[in-house]
Amino acid sequence: MKKILSLVLALAMVLAATSALADLVICQNKVEITTQMEAYAKLYTEKTGVPVKVITGGGSSDYNTVLKAEMQSGREPDIFVIEGLSGYELWKDRIADQTGAEWTKTCTAPFVVDGKTLGFPVAQEGYGLAYNKDILDKAGIDPATLTNRPALQAAFEKLDSMKAELGLDMVVAMVAGTTTNMTWVTGLHNFNVYLAGGLERGDNTIIDKVLAGEVDADRFHQYCQYVALLFKYSDPDMLLTGTQDSQLAAFVNGKAAFYHQGNWMDPTLVGMNPQFEIAYAPHAFLDTDTDGILADAASWYVVNEKGNKDEAIAYLNALCGTEEGANYMVKEAGMIPAFSNIVGEASTPLTKSVVEWAAAGKTYSWQQYKLWDGFGMGTLGPIYELLASGAVDVDTFEALMIDAIATRAAQ
Amino acid sequence: MSSKHKRKLTEFLFLFPTLFAFVMVIIIPFILGIFYSFTDWQGTGAYSQIVGLTNYKAIFSEPGFLHSFLVTLLFTVLNIITVNVVAFVISLLVTSEIRGRNVYRAGFFIPNLIGGIVLGLVWQFIFSNILPSLGKALGWDAISKSLIANKDTVMLTMVIVNTWQYAGYIMLIYVASIQGISKSVLEAAEVDGATYWTRVTRIQIPLMANAFTISLFLTLTNSFKMYDVNVALTNGGPVAMFMGKPVQASELLALNIYQTAFKYNNMAQGQAKAVIFFVVLTIFSIIQVSYNKSKEVEA
Repeated sequence: MKKILSLVLALAMVLAATSALADLVICQNKVEITTQMEAYAKLYTEKTGVPVKVITGGGSSDYNTVLKAEMQSGREPDIFVIEGLSGYELWKDRIADQTGAEWTKTCTAPFVVDGKTLGFPVAQEGYGLAYNKDILDKAGIDPATLTNRPALQAAFEKLDSMKAELGLDMVVAMVAGTTTNMTWVTGLHNFNVYLAGGLERGDNTIIDKVLAGEVDADRFHQYCQYVALLFKYSDPDMLLTGTQDSQLAAFVNGKAAFYHQGNWMDPTLVGMNPQFEIAYAPHAFLDTDTDGILADAASWYVVNEKGNKDEAIAYLNALCGTEEGANYMVKEAGMIPAFSNIVGEASTPLTKSVVEWAAAGKTYSWQQYKLWDGFGMGTLGPIYELLASGAVDVDTFEALMIDAIATRAAQ
Repeated sequence: MSSKHKRKLTEFLFLFPTLFAFVMVIIIPFILGIFYSFTDWQGTGAYSQIVGLTNYKAIFSEPGFLHSFLVTLLFTVLNIITVNVVAFVISLLVTSEIRGRNVYRAGFFIPNLIGGIVLGLVWQFIFSNILPSLGKALGWDAISKSLIANKDTVMLTMVIVNTWQYAGYIMLIYVASIQGISKSVLEAAEVDGATYWTRVTRIQIPLMANAFTISLFLTLTNSFKMYDVNVALTNGGPVAMFMGKPVQASELLALNIYQTAFKYNNMAQGQAKAVIFFVVLTIFSIIQVSYNKSKEVEA
C-alpha cells in the first residue's frame, strides 16, 4: 500500500516537474497520433520558442481519468480535448470562450454553446453508404444516381437478383446486434440520418424536436422505410451476430456491394488490401434527393480558462493557419481538418471519399451526440434489432421508436 | 499499561491493516452509496439536491429493471440446479475407482481458471459461428441460427457456459466432502447389501449436507451477481418485448446496474438499484443458509 502510494507520489512529482518546464501543456486522447503530435510540438517550439508538452490518455488508459488526474496535479493542461456535450458539461467551468479567435474564421465545425465559440475541432469523421464500384459497374448501376430511396431500392433489387453471378452473399453489409455491442451503428449513426440527413449545418429543428419528445411525422415515416430497406437487403445473420470484423470482411471479400461504416475503418480496411474502388454514396432515405454524406467533428480542443490562455489560442491559430500545422494534420496524422483553408489530401479510400464530399460542400452534421446519454445505443438500438430479427414489422418499429422518444423526453 | 490493555493493543494492531482496507474500500463506499441513492448525484463533483425516494420509485416503473430481476431469478434457479447436479455427478465420478480420475479432476477444474471475459468471447464464437456452420452443413435446423441471437434460447447459453465454468470448482468441494466420509460406514452398508444408489442417497448425501450448504451458497451468490460472462457472451441482448417495451432479454441485474450508471450516466439511480440488489441477495442468502444448516447432520 505504502509502496504504491509513494510510487504514485513520485510519479506525480516527476510529471509536475516536467510539465512545469513547458509553457503550454496539451492533454489529448488520440493515442494513434501521439508521435506525430509530439513531433509537431517540437517543430512549433523551434519556430516560436514556446515549449510545448503533450500528455496522451486513451487506448488502454482512460482519457477522462488521465485528464482528471492532470487537472488535480497542480499544473493544469492549457489545452485539452472534450468529446461533445457530455465533456462540456463536465468541464464547463474551465472552458474559455474563444469567440473571435483567428482560427474561428475558417473553421467549418467549431464547438459552439449559446453563441460562444469554445472548441477547435480535432478532425472530421464521416460515413455514408460505402460501395464497391466494381460490383456496381458490373450490374450497370451508376452510383451518382443513388440519391433517393426509390433509386436505392431499384439498385438493391437489381443487385439482389444478380447475387449469384456477382458472387454476393448480401447486398448491404450492416450490423445491428445487441449481443455483439453494435447498437451504436444503428441507434447513433444510422439514427443521425433522420436527425441531420439533408439538413443544413446549424439546422437543429429535428434534433430539438426529438429532445422535446416529438418526431417530424412524414420525415420519420420515410426514414423508417429506409431502415427497413437496408435490413431487407442485408443478411439476417450478419445483422444479428456480425461484428465489425465480419462486416468488413464481407465487404472487402466482395460478398457485399454496400458497407455501412465510417472512415475510421480505413486502417483495417487498407490492411485487408481491397482490390476494387470504394467511395461513399449518400444515405438517401427520402423520396426526394439527399446529396451528401454525414461528416462532422466528434471531439474538440478547448482552452483552459485558468491556464496560459493566450499561448494556447496562438497554438491553435498556428495549427490551422500555418503550412506546418496543415501539413501535420493532413499528411502526418492523416486527419480531415474541418477548415475551409486546408484542402485535405487523403490516400485511403473511405477518408478520400469523405474529403471529396467535404470539398464539394456536401456534408451534413452529426447530431446524434446531442441525444441523452445512453439513449441511442441503449434504448433505440434494441428497437432496430427487433426489426432486424423480424420480431416486429416496420409499422411497429416506427411506433416503438416514437414511443421511446416520447417516454424519454417526459422523464 | 496493564497486560490486559497491552493484549488489546496487540490484537488491534494485528487487525488494523485488514480492518483499515476493509473500512476504506467496502464500508465507507457502501454507506456513501446508500446515501447517494437518495440524491441526484451524477458521478462528478457534488450532488445538487436530495431527492428522497424518487430514484427508487423510478426503478419500479422501469420494465427493463423488472425484466432483469425476473431473468436473474430464472438464471439463478436454473444455474443452481445445473451447476450442483453436474458438480455432484462428476465428483462421484472422480472419487470412484475409474482409471485416470486425476486427469478428470484437473480437466473439469481447468475451465474455472479461465477468466469470464475470455470464456464469454470464446463461447460466443462457438454459439454464433461454429454451431451455426455445423448446423447448416448437417442440416440441423435447431442450431443453424445463433442460439445467442435468439431471445428464447439465450438464457440456455448463459447457463451452459456458467455450468461449464463453475461446476469444476463446486466439484472440488464435493470431492473433499466425499473423501471426508469414513470408509467404514460405506463398507458396512455394502456388506449389509445396500445398492450403490442407496449408499449415495442414504449415506453420502446426508453426510455431505455441510458441503451442500456452502456449494448452494456459492452458486446462489455467484449466479445472482453474474456479470463478466453476461457482458462478454451476450452483452445483455438480444431484445425481447416485456410490458409492451423492448427490453434486453439476457441482461442480468449486475449488468443492468452497470448500464444505468455508466451507459446512461445515471449514477444515483444505479446506486438505488445496487441497494435493492444488496437487500434482495442478503435475504435470499440468509434463507438458503439457515434452511441448509437445519438439514446438516453429524455422522
